[in-house]
Amino acid sequence: MTDWLTTILIALPFAGALLVWGLPFNRFWAGSIALLVSLAEVGLWINVLVDFDFGEHGLQYEQQVTWLSDLDISYHVGFYGFSLWLTGLTVVVMAAAVAYAFWVGRERARTYFGLMLFLTGAIVAVFTAQDLLLFYAAFEAMLIPLYVLVGVWGGGGRLGATIKFVIYTIAGSLLMLVAIIAYGLSEGTFDLVDAGTSGSSWIFLGFVAAFAVKAPLFPFHGWMPDAYRESSPEVAAVLSGIVSKAAVYGFLRIAIAKFPEPAQDFQIPILVLASIGLVYGSLLAFRAPDLRGVIAYSSLAQMSLIALGLFALNDPGFDGAILQSVGHGLVSATLFLLAGGIERRSSTGELALLGGMARGRPALATVLMTTGIVALAVPGSATFAGEFLILAGVFREGWLWAVIGAGSIVLAAMYMLRLVSAALHVRRGSAVSDAALDLRPAELAILVPLVSCLLALSAWPGAISDRAFPDGGSANSVNDRLAAARETADGWTAYGPLEDDR
Amino acid sequence: MTAAAWVCLLAPLAGALLVTLLGTRLSRDGAGYVATASVAVAFGAAVFSFFSLLGRDPEDRAARSDAWTWLSVGDLDVSLGILVDPLSVLMMLIVTGVGALIVAYSIGYMHGDDEERRFFAYMAFFVFSMLLLVESGNFLILLVGWGLVGLSSYLLIGFHHERPSAIAAAKKAFIMNAAGDAAMALALFLLIVNTGALDYGGVFGQVEQLASGEWVVNLVALGLLAGAVAKSAQIPLHTWLPDAMEGPTPVSALIHAATMVTAGVFLLVRCHPIFEAAPRIQDLAAGIGAVTLLVAGLIALVQTDIKRVIAYSTMSQIGYMFLGAGLGAYANGMFHLMTHAFFKALLFLAAGIVIHALLGEQDMRKMGGLRRLLPRTWLFFLIGGLALAGMPPLSGFFSKDSVLASALDAGTYGQILWVAGLIGALLTGIYTFRMIFMVFGGEPSAFVQEHLHKEGDAEGPFWMTSTVAVLALLAVVGGWIQIAGLWHPLASFLDPILAVEREHLALREPSGWEDLLTSVLAVGLGLVGIWLAWRIYGVRRTEAPAGAGLRRVLEQKFFFDEVYDAVFYRPAAGIARMWTRWIEAPLIGGSLRGLAAGTRDAGGRVTQVQTGFLRNYALAIAAGLAVLAVVFLSVRA
Repeated sequence: MTDWLTTILIALPFAGALLVWGLPFNRFWAGSIALLVSLAEVGLWINVLVDFDFGEHGLQYEQQVTWLSDLDISYHVGFYGFSLWLTGLTVVVMAAAVAYAFWVGRERARTYFGLMLFLTGAIVAVFTAQDLLLFYAAFEAMLIPLYVLVGVWGGGGRLGATIKFVIYTIAGSLLMLVAIIAYGLSEGTFDLVDAGTSGSSWIFLGFVAAFAVKAPLFPFHGWMPDAYRESSPEVAAVLSGIVSKAAVYGFLRIAIAKFPEPAQDFQIPILVLASIGLVYGSLLAFRAPDLRGVIAYSSLAQMSLIALGLFALNDPGFDGAILQSVGHGLVSATLFLLAGGIERRSSTGELALLGGMARGRPALATVLMTTGIVALAVPGSATFAGEFLILAGVFREGWLWAVIGAGSIVLAAMYMLRLVSAALHVRRGSAVSDAALDLRPAELAILVPLVSCLLALSAWPGAISDRAFPDGGSANSVNDRLAAARETADGWTAYGPLEDDR
Repeated sequence: MTAAAWVCLLAPLAGALLVTLLGTRLSRDGAGYVATASVAVAFGAAVFSFFSLLGRDPEDRAARSDAWTWLSVGDLDVSLGILVDPLSVLMMLIVTGVGALIVAYSIGYMHGDDEERRFFAYMAFFVFSMLLLVESGNFLILLVGWGLVGLSSYLLIGFHHERPSAIAAAKKAFIMNAAGDAAMALALFLLIVNTGALDYGGVFGQVEQLASGEWVVNLVALGLLAGAVAKSAQIPLHTWLPDAMEGPTPVSALIHAATMVTAGVFLLVRCHPIFEAAPRIQDLAAGIGAVTLLVAGLIALVQTDIKRVIAYSTMSQIGYMFLGAGLGAYANGMFHLMTHAFFKALLFLAAGIVIHALLGEQDMRKMGGLRRLLPRTWLFFLIGGLALAGMPPLSGFFSKDSVLASALDAGTYGQILWVAGLIGALLTGIYTFRMIFMVFGGEPSAFVQEHLHKEGDAEGPFWMTSTVAVLALLAVVGGWIQIAGLWHPLASFLDPILAVEREHLALREPSGWEDLLTSVLAVGLGLVGIWLAWRIYGVRRTEAPAGAGLRRVLEQKFFFDEVYDAVFYRPAAGIARMWTRWIEAPLIGGSLRGLAAGTRDAGGRVTQVQTGFLRNYALAIAAGLAVLAVVFLSVRA
């Protein structure tokens, strides 16, 4: 039974999607079924979490069915510690997004909720796939519903946003496909667990380009501001909260684990791009004129920060990148849903027209303030812990990276406080009417669990960062660990799960 | 003992959560009682910890307790842990003791405010954060507490969130402190890399090794000092503190006078092994203190807002503490920290009664003649003012003189700072009594006669007067705990942590004549200052006879705000605007518009390839296969 859990986690949403598409449900039943399936996914995930052995190095909850033995292509799925956390983020945020869409009442409900369920299944598949072609199929399957969700249910400029989004992601996907085929053929297998490491810079760069578009990283973020602005809030929450984390997973599972030498060779250029993105995104967030613009550019900055952690190529960096992925995913999703709530009340997200919403709306003020504080990584929050790990990791690669990162702490405070104050404080904005309601119980039922997750992680960030990767070595100090990692040619494979010792 | 410390830490957090979660089910006053009770419980626990600590041998007075591993940095496990030792217990007593009085005072002061519950939840949360800071068992939890007090300070400064000035001040305070936090975080990274530890014992045990690479220990000390300077509003990171007076007066008393802003001094003392290994940075700390005490004293001379005068005097007094701690006179600095908490909280709360009585007015030029109208407040304020000016036998006299005398004992550099401190004593006398004469002296002004709210007792309800009375008592007797030449129980109490591994005395004990000389000069200069204030403001009630240019420089607070605006804010905003216009819009957003158009054109052109002739397709397929074959072969090889 436990072997099937992973497959059930993937298949259940797909089955739900087919059900919703196939049968003539009305809006209420389509939404209810989607919500039920999403919550069942959370339950299943908790079930996986409870029995998970975080000290174990290999793949868990593994299932493999050979498909094409000649090319060694198979249906192969399973969990590592870090993929388990990213999957957890996925099911929680998807449940919130589905619930929000249900509450708002989207048009053409059957199509809509079917797409959301399909998306859930595809993202879970991305985070569990252990075969490159399966991974690729899941990656594409994740994008297609997004194109439709942005292009049909988006705002006024949705068409332009969708076109940009499609062009960027297709370009990235094609590069990745070429890279996958080249890598798979050169290794003689498409199985991620069996495949060895490669030294090819070109294949590495193909993967990096695809993931850099997906994250997005500077300067591949052209699709991002429009897509985040024009899509409906819950889709923006999914895009920035979890779809971007597919890039984190790809970097970690493929680009870094399978290409140790190219990763080392290109470490500096990637760190430079990430640093630029961090400062660039933070400053643009500081001047963005609308709620979603601030959140979008802050996402660019946060994804750049995560990239800094990943390409620190050491333990604290990896741990921090996973913790920050979960933290940013929850923060970003909560913020987009809140932005959606504010836009519904004032019919605009322009900061200049908002303001004074705290007066008489304690629930909105509390939730937005709490999320904003976590988003700016106040010491003690889960995001602070993630940043601290990332910067501690990247500090070893050069103090300058950490100085830039520390500077971004100040910038984050600047743009986040600006957002919070512009919505909540000072005089009432011209678009805010006195009749605008506080958060409704249904909205609270969606947002409070997300915020509670963040607060729980703030009390114990180690729950994720210490359990993303099993302990790799016995060296006592971080220094030794790093030195050891540098001395051994295949240093990364000392980091537990990336070492595929079956 | 550690259990009591945990209770002390968690009681205010429980209070804050209770007030938040109960919401409107709790009456407004009820929220005040819950918050006060939670801090009072914390005080009780702190007293318990104190006595159980006293019951141990001096060498054995430190206990660690870890709850769980908060975060692992590589192989380094950092626990959510506390350290109970004389230094943290002293701070716990000050924070919860003064804190309980101020929160109780707030029940009266905030009565009738729309959002009392939010206020008390924030106050209790602040006390929790401050306790986390002082009880922290390692540098990371210290940084967490450090950030959380900054957060509660932000929330409370911006409590009146409909006021633009309050929100601007709150943001400014947070961002300046975030810069300090960032510097501290960098120091922590250096510690991790170079010592592989973040707990105090582990780091301090390796100071020798840290000091072998000279720049490392200096950088660590510099990073910590930057955090301390930002939190304690020392020059050059001080500009947020005067603006922070936008918060309600009890907030100013608790956070921006008695506790949070003195955290920098606590840090200097807590991390003294690091600073001693980096003597140049330690000297820098003392120098910053001296410069701050002079600059703040000068600016205070021309302020017209009663709370801002007290705010600048806070900066100035913390300057004395930095001076002491920077010269290695840790116990003297901590002594001044303690008495300052008493008399400065007293001054703020008494000023709060004045502001309360005048329905929110803070401009001293509109006040006057309150001596007869608010006689008890006048007495309290006078006690606070005399203690601040260092008049015997009030508490400020003993602690300030002990800092100054130890400076005189600390070589040439110390003697230079000693002179600065004496000039500061003169300035303190002038600005303090300028304030007192402007507010209480003379005849009641027209404004006062019109606005003094007459119903009931103008000096405030029970909660306000009683708590101020207790603080007044402390401001009188608080200094007697340590009298030069007679006894020094405070210093002996702190001695174990300050002197344990290094042969260093906690208390610099200046010789008798140094003490005498300092006391005579400091008191004399203070009296001269009071006399000057009397000549200028008491008798004639005019503005100070200063040149217009100097006046302007002082009123503009030495142009720090303007410089920061020009150096940081405008460039950042300008760069952001430039990038939006020249990079984001044309290159990244616009390129795509071009790309989209290009794709459409390309699509059109590709359509023409679909000729419908089989031979063309066959050729294309063959060519494609050939390319693929070449690719696969080359990859395989």
